[in-house]
Amino acid sequence: MLPFSIGLKLGLPVTEQIVFAVKKAVVGGQLQTGDKFPSVRVLSQELRISPNTAHKAIAALVDEGVLVATPAIGTVVAPHEAGDRKDCAHLLGAEVERLVVEAKNLGIEQEDVQAAVAAHWEKLETPDRRYSHK
Amino acid sequence: MNAIEINNLTRRYGRTDALVDLSLTVHTGSIFALLGPNGAGKTTTIKILMNLIPPTSGRATVLGVESTRIGPKERAQIGYVSENQTLPLWMSVRQLLDYCRPFYPSWDRNLETTLLKQFNLPRGMLMKVALMSALSYRPKLLVLDEPFSGLDPLVRDDFVQGILEASDLGNWTVFISSHDIDEIERLADHVGVIDGGRTKLNESSESLLMRFRRIEVNLQGQTPLLEEMPTNWLAVDRASERVIFIDSRYSEYTADSPYQRYFPDAVVTSHPMTLREIFLTLFRSDRKTSVGIRL
Repeated sequence: MLPFSIGLKLGLPVTEQIVFAVKKAVVGGQLQTGDKFPSVRVLSQELRISPNTAHKAIAALVDEGVLVATPAIGTVVAPHEAGDRKDCAHLLGAEVERLVVEAKNLGIEQEDVQAAVAAHWEKLETPDRRYSHK
Repeated sequence: MNAIEINNLTRRYGRTDALVDLSLTVHTGSIFALLGPNGAGKTTTIKILMNLIPPTSGRATVLGVESTRIGPKERAQIGYVSENQTLPLWMSVRQLLDYCRPFYPSWDRNLETTLLKQFNLPRGMLMKVALMSALSYRPKLLVLDEPFSGLDPLVRDDFVQGILEASDLGNWTVFISSHDIDEIERLADHVGVIDGGRTKLNESSESLLMRFRRIEVNLQGQTPLLEEMPTNWLAVDRASERVIFIDSRYSEYTADSPYQRYFPDAVVTSHPMTLREIFLTLFRSDRKTSVGIRL
């Protein structure tokens, strides 16, 4: 089993979908600093994708500093630094949009949505996942 | 060196042109999908590549060797599985593998064992055994002609997993013709589409998925300039309040999209398309308006 959640959708480049899923898993704490990341082979077999695509996704994640390639160990999750909050917000764009659309469809007020978001935020706020603001 | 190079290949059967001036390049290390409707020339292409039939004109090279010169030595590096393959049905799976093994110096018994375990015979047995005997000698090039046809989703999944099990990054090329576009969309790095024996598309799956978008325009009461719409807008469909079309150049717009110009105050949304939808668009819009389409 892969250490992060992903459901590949048709119609979007696979590399992009993997990069997004991994970043989300890091932001959400599903992947922690130092966690071992699956190899090209494992990623390709688990997702039934071309090894080239798996390789590209891992390379992109290393390039963006989400993963680090360490000799002998393989690829691991890089320390999650503060300062990439903008990045995180961008990542969540689609999710936020979906939330807003659903809320409007259901006729929920903006304040109620914000309150619900705050409540969930509170629930997930554990010390090792909190951003350090400097 | 490219794994496969096809240059201006033509093949006639009597008066029928099966292939007309077909050119395609398959990079070493890629998974290349050859797509096209029935009768597009997929099997003819593969038969020429495997030197089962000669071309009428043009040429193709496979692993650097002219297709017409492919013999036992080259075949030991090529794994070929076709839906029409005949297997000696009187043999058991073990007997067949015992029979095949000595022909290939590169036969990998560990891989054979892994595949045997993974393949969960006898479900979808014939195709799996054919694939197993083609994978176990770790060919540099795997050629699959309609490998998924008639297989249930479970077997298809086993099949894909088996292919990937034998993968060897960078040094291993797969050429696969299939109708199973959904399966292919994830698997293939590169897509070649042929129609009537001619090349229609030849590009990476990623760029293809980025390039095509279904565009929905909510007119908000405006009248658009529909007469002079770009020719790369396909399958334009218009209702009173909405215009829907397929834009085949979506990824090329850098700053300003041309939608602003055509529909100044309308609400425009773009939706990604699956490979299947792109494929259908290509063939449907082509049949309606046979000229002037720029892909």
